[in-house]
Amino acid sequence: MVLPLSLLNAAQNKPMLVELKNGETFNGHLVNCDNFMNITLREVYQTSADGDRFWKVKECYIRGSTIKYLRVPDALLDSVKEEQTRAREAGKNARGGSHTGGAGRGRGGPQRGRGARGGPPRGGRSRGRAM
Amino acid sequence: MRGFQQRGSAPRGHGGSRHHGGPQGPQPTLDKPKREAILDLAKYVNSRIRVKFTGGREVTGVLKGYDQLLNLVLDEVEEQVQDPEPRIRTLGLAVLRGPTITLLSPVDGLEEISNPFIAQD
Repeated sequence: MVLPLSLLNAAQNKPMLVELKNGETFNGHLVNCDNFMNITLREVYQTSADGDRFWKVKECYIRGSTIKYLRVPDALLDSVKEEQTRAREAGKNARGGSHTGGAGRGRGGPQRGRGARGGPPRGGRSRGRAM
Repeated sequence: MRGFQQRGSAPRGHGGSRHHGGPQGPQPTLDKPKREAILDLAKYVNSRIRVKFTGGREVTGVLKGYDQLLNLVLDEVEEQVQDPEPRIRTLGLAVLRGPTITLLSPVDGLEEISNPFIAQD
């Protein structure tokens, strides 16, 4: 599954079209973005909502909550999926190495969750509050 | 001052010494190093910027200060009024509230152009 913000993150330095809720559009290259979908663009062509006027803007910052949609290059989807499978493979390998063997290669989920998160803190806390 | 300190330290000091030195420090930083602002406003200080607000108002002004919430201090502020006819309204020194700002760009390098997409589409 491709998450919207993963796709956006992967779109850095790629050309994109952003349309705001008010109908204005911005064509430019993504410089940066955050988890609010705030974005900065460079080399921007701004178009008014009625499509009659155009401006060239060197760079601009757009508040995420005003965005209606962003159009990104089609090829981005493939590169993100590739990146995901590569990350998954890397995770599997790391897990396989740190554990005793390849016993639960594909089904390491629950075990990994306990080890990474719940384990040590939960144990420590319950001991502390036992009194 | 003293009351505040007591409230904060007394309950913990009793039995919580082990918790205290624990992993609380590094945990928030482990979260993600993506907390930085994606826009470095320092480069715009003392230069003129254009700001649009929710609701459609638009101003330009010389950036004098800012904070992490994107609240801005602008000097020599002019509002570009569109209704009923285009004109300029002088506002002087102003604080702009960050959460209402929808668009921010430098005035330097901004120019109105003819349709750049005709050739492509």
